[in-house]
Amino acid sequence: MSRTFDAIELELLWRRLISLVDEAAAAMVRTSFSTLVRESYDFSCVVTDASGQSLVQASESIPSFIGTLPETVKHFLHFFPPDQLAPGDVLITNDIWLGTGHLPDVTLAKPIFRGGKLIAFSATTAHAPDIGGKIRSPEPREVFEEGLQIPPMKMIAAGKTDETLVAIIRKNVRTPDQIMGDLYAQIVALDLMEDRLLVLMENYGLPDLTDLAREIQGRCETAMRAAIRELPDGTYHSELKTDGIMETPITLKLKLTIRGDEIEMDFAGTDAQVDRAINCALCYTNAMAMYGVKVCTSPNLPNNEGAWRPITLKAPPGCIVNPQFPAPGGSRMLIGHYVPMLVFGCLGQIVPERVMAACGSPMWGMNQSGVRDDGKGGGRPYANMFFYNGGMGGNTQRDGVTCLSWPSNVSSTSIEISEHIAPLRFHHKKLRPDSGGPGRHRGGLGQEILIESRSDTPIAVSFLAERTIFPAFGIEGGRDGAPGELKINGVKTDPKKQYVLNKGDTVSLGTPGGGGHGDPRQRDPAARAADLTAGYVTDATVYRG
Amino acid sequence: MSAPLSLGIDIGGTFTDLVIHDPRTGRAVIWKESTTPDDPARGALLGTQRVLEKAGVKPEQVGRVVHATTLFTNALIERKGARTGLLTTAGFADALEIARERKYELYDLFIEMPKPLVPRPWRREARERLAADGSVEVPLDVDAALREVAELVEQGIESLAICFLHSYANPAHERAIGAAVAERFQNLSISLSCDVAPEIREYQRASTTVANAYIRPLAEVYLERLEHALSSSGIPGGLFLMLSNGGLTHVSEAKRTPVQLLESGPAAGALAGAWFGRNAGLQRVLAFDMGGTTAKLALVDDGEPLVAYGFEAAREKRFLRGSGLPIMIATVELIEIGAGGGSIARRSDLGTLQVGPESSGAQPGPACYGRGGTEATVTDADLALGYLNADFFLGGAMKIDRAATEAALGGLAVALDVERDRAGFGVHDVVNENMAGAARVAIAERGRIPAEYALLATGGAGPVHAWNVARKLGVTRVVCPPGAGAGSTIGMLMAPARVDRVASFSTALAGADFDRAEAVFAAQEKESLEVLRPTGADASGRVVRRLADMRYIGQGSEVTVAMPSPLTEASVRTAFEAAYKALFARTPPGAAIQFVALRLSVSAPMPGAGGKLELLRHPSSQALKGIRPVFFADAGKMLPTNVYDRYALEAGVTVQGPAVFEEDESTFIVGPGATARLLPDGSILAEVV
Repeated sequence: MSRTFDAIELELLWRRLISLVDEAAAAMVRTSFSTLVRESYDFSCVVTDASGQSLVQASESIPSFIGTLPETVKHFLHFFPPDQLAPGDVLITNDIWLGTGHLPDVTLAKPIFRGGKLIAFSATTAHAPDIGGKIRSPEPREVFEEGLQIPPMKMIAAGKTDETLVAIIRKNVRTPDQIMGDLYAQIVALDLMEDRLLVLMENYGLPDLTDLAREIQGRCETAMRAAIRELPDGTYHSELKTDGIMETPITLKLKLTIRGDEIEMDFAGTDAQVDRAINCALCYTNAMAMYGVKVCTSPNLPNNEGAWRPITLKAPPGCIVNPQFPAPGGSRMLIGHYVPMLVFGCLGQIVPERVMAACGSPMWGMNQSGVRDDGKGGGRPYANMFFYNGGMGGNTQRDGVTCLSWPSNVSSTSIEISEHIAPLRFHHKKLRPDSGGPGRHRGGLGQEILIESRSDTPIAVSFLAERTIFPAFGIEGGRDGAPGELKINGVKTDPKKQYVLNKGDTVSLGTPGGGGHGDPRQRDPAARAADLTAGYVTDATVYRG
Repeated sequence: MSAPLSLGIDIGGTFTDLVIHDPRTGRAVIWKESTTPDDPARGALLGTQRVLEKAGVKPEQVGRVVHATTLFTNALIERKGARTGLLTTAGFADALEIARERKYELYDLFIEMPKPLVPRPWRREARERLAADGSVEVPLDVDAALREVAELVEQGIESLAICFLHSYANPAHERAIGAAVAERFQNLSISLSCDVAPEIREYQRASTTVANAYIRPLAEVYLERLEHALSSSGIPGGLFLMLSNGGLTHVSEAKRTPVQLLESGPAAGALAGAWFGRNAGLQRVLAFDMGGTTAKLALVDDGEPLVAYGFEAAREKRFLRGSGLPIMIATVELIEIGAGGGSIARRSDLGTLQVGPESSGAQPGPACYGRGGTEATVTDADLALGYLNADFFLGGAMKIDRAATEAALGGLAVALDVERDRAGFGVHDVVNENMAGAARVAIAERGRIPAEYALLATGGAGPVHAWNVARKLGVTRVVCPPGAGAGSTIGMLMAPARVDRVASFSTALAGADFDRAEAVFAAQEKESLEVLRPTGADASGRVVRRLADMRYIGQGSEVTVAMPSPLTEASVRTAFEAAYKALFARTPPGAAIQFVALRLSVSAPMPGAGGKLELLRHPSSQALKGIRPVFFADAGKMLPTNVYDRYALEAGVTVQGPAVFEEDESTFIVGPGATARLLPDGSILAEVV
């Protein structure tokens, strides 16, 4: 006998579900060691039903995790069917194909029982401060170089922690206390979701989640189908080139077909996977493509299984957006962050008012590692990752925002904090004039950061840097933003390689500006004058034909 | 005895609330005056005359005036502050604009971030550089910096913020250029980051300093004018300002760092909650204020509102974290939710009942106001459920259109495909769930459980919803203080004087120099007492709190820990681990601990901040006004319910729920199973027994 819920009951139950995952997220933010978790919400919390279909996801989770976590739960169920699960189990993996496409994202899930029956999972993924292996860079050629791989297994079995696993993890990472601290932060979140969910079910007399899941997922599915139905049927193509591995640019292709209330995305024709860590596993491609569709069709729809049922995605095995074992993927965002733009390239042909010009993304970053003199003849290894962002693309309503993380949401580390934790001296962090693509609505500006090593010992550096060859393009007559630029000691450099900085060496990172929207000749005179006064634009001729 | 009375003035967006209070007898008289936005001091003075008349006292009897205002917050929101310049370390003038690089809304491609208060041409750079430890790498070039400032002055700036890298570790360069600028440009208002917010993180520190500079000229003029006007109206007492931290300060400190006043109104509200809670013998109180458009929650532990060390002003999107300007000051911690009497109920895109955050505002207002509103609001639902009295709305001052409410709820019921009565309680229940959800997250963030708290209800709608919100949270005690509408003003009158200071102290716990820590605390206490002295507060009764921001090395957010005495590695470790466990249940194994900053707060009782309060009451045997049907969920139907005039109830009287207590500003509802008691200060304490 299935139970139905009226509009009021459903809202109350849904609210409670949202508040319980948000409560778990708040607990994780407060307890985590990872800067990415705390300051950039590079994590997710979800509750799924017994089959791994998600009901609710924490509100502030970044788009990378749309749909990934419930998929991982389904993979767990494949390895551990319900009859092999017990109360008090906690499952773990960081497999890049079953997880989110790179090893630092560790997923934990806890089966939840009520009346002796498996009724749900609480699950979290969080970006660990370190996962061993080569420091994060595009250089690794196989996943084995990227760090410790944890296959799906029980970290805790019926309340008993697998100490062998813990010992292996601790031995393989640079900062074992922090890694274990973060795993425990995730477990706190899992327990909290379990506790709150069971109370909620007790309060409302729900024996399991079947009926509620059907209702919640069904409503989101209906809403997504309605949004798609508004779009004209047809097949739309788009194509992009990325810097790739410099000597070989990479072409991404998407064919997006709208048929009634369904969307199919096909990446056939996209270039093959490469032996560098920029391959973008299908789970991540999927999350980014879903984000692209969602933000144009139904931006306010809650993230759950129902929302993406009407959307299918395929990519030929072995292409860079569906790489196969043992392809490395540590820097997957260097391809993945282009995927929403590819979706906009298709949808922009039919709903141009809902998309924006290209952004100065993927995000930029500099990873440093080295050994600090501990004053006792030994050394203390350290590793830091600092992120910097480019400008957003202009859109129909206004200029693109300057220096803003998109599609991810990673804040930049404060200079004062950076200088505290790393032997670096920052000379400037300033806007790059003229980097925003001219347009009726200008692209947001990129920034330039100049960093000098003050370390007596060498520092190994690697980068996340894209759009140094192919700039963020303008649309509707808008022009391109300025490409990014990476220099070491003043000389332009291949950003996909690793370098060693000695004392006094400098690195300059120039993040790309966003593309412009609309013909620059139509830019409002007041906005032109403001650009020139502020020095965002130094050359007034960009407004001429 | 000279001038024993206290006057409280709270200037809000719509109304200026005034209270005159006699600390010896506890007698208090309340007045509401319309705010005069063009010159808020005018409304304040007019209200002052009126409240004095109403209370029948002369200006000479007023010994002190305490004041809170939203004026400065509004100046930030409306961008109506001074023409402000910023001087930074060379290479970093754009930090204010580049900000955190993080979106507050993930799914909005058309996002707008808050514009910096200082436009790019007015952000200038000085040649100077400190290292992270505060040592000088590049000496300050005073002359070059003065030339930059001279250009800004020529361009008409009135106020200057100075924020150099690592100045929290060594303020010497900021002080040197500050002094040079002050000497050369005597009419320029100057704000140094090492004074306003000496904390690590250049963007947040600059944002705070710039906000201070932006409102400072306005604050100087306004406070002088108000002080002058009060004294020329014959009031001999001094003027004191409510700070965001829940304490009072004197005018010259307020003029120096007006950014500390931004949350003065809400802080006073939380303080009132704490005070009434203490009076009712409650240690842990969840102060719950629900008005027309928003509900505010503040946690009070051990009789004191919790204080946070940062908040956001002037948000682009009111309820979205990250959309405002970060302000690093001590402030009473508040959670704001888009839930109020005016919150609109609609069928959401997903077919569920959504209530708020959109509000019908004052115009057209809820359907029952009869001003053309057709959508059902929380107030309409409360009316239909019998919680509000159509014949006694705002003490009978407002005519209610019951038919419009019925029509609005009927329309909603059709849209939702439910019975009309179900729709009415649904609206009430959903808005309660929204508030309870926010409270659960806030309480969990502090490692507490809701059952430890009592709910203290204020605001026009707070007492109407408190009982049912409490039931959702598993809270068994609800307090409704008298004069719910003027709660914050009463809070100010009870406030102590308070000073908060912070200093950078970046060192590992292992091997920390505790003598240096003691010296920092001693210097902070000395400085605080100097600030405190002119308030006339009783320094002998002061409470000094020594706190430290600490974390495990590698973490990025700190826990503020009360410091033990004496300071030793072992005692501090124990204190930190206890605080950490209270928040997060467990400590990570083997991790090292560090200090980030030392904080000190001093509060001292104000003379005249009496512990007694008695609002005008007229106890009589006619307290029971009548009986009306009121809906209660546990009964599943309307129950005939006694309605009381709360001002006619005698202290000590006990009433069994269900019951309705009416006063002009609000209505307190308690359900079946409750026992309600009238406390000596006029509060009603309702408990589930």
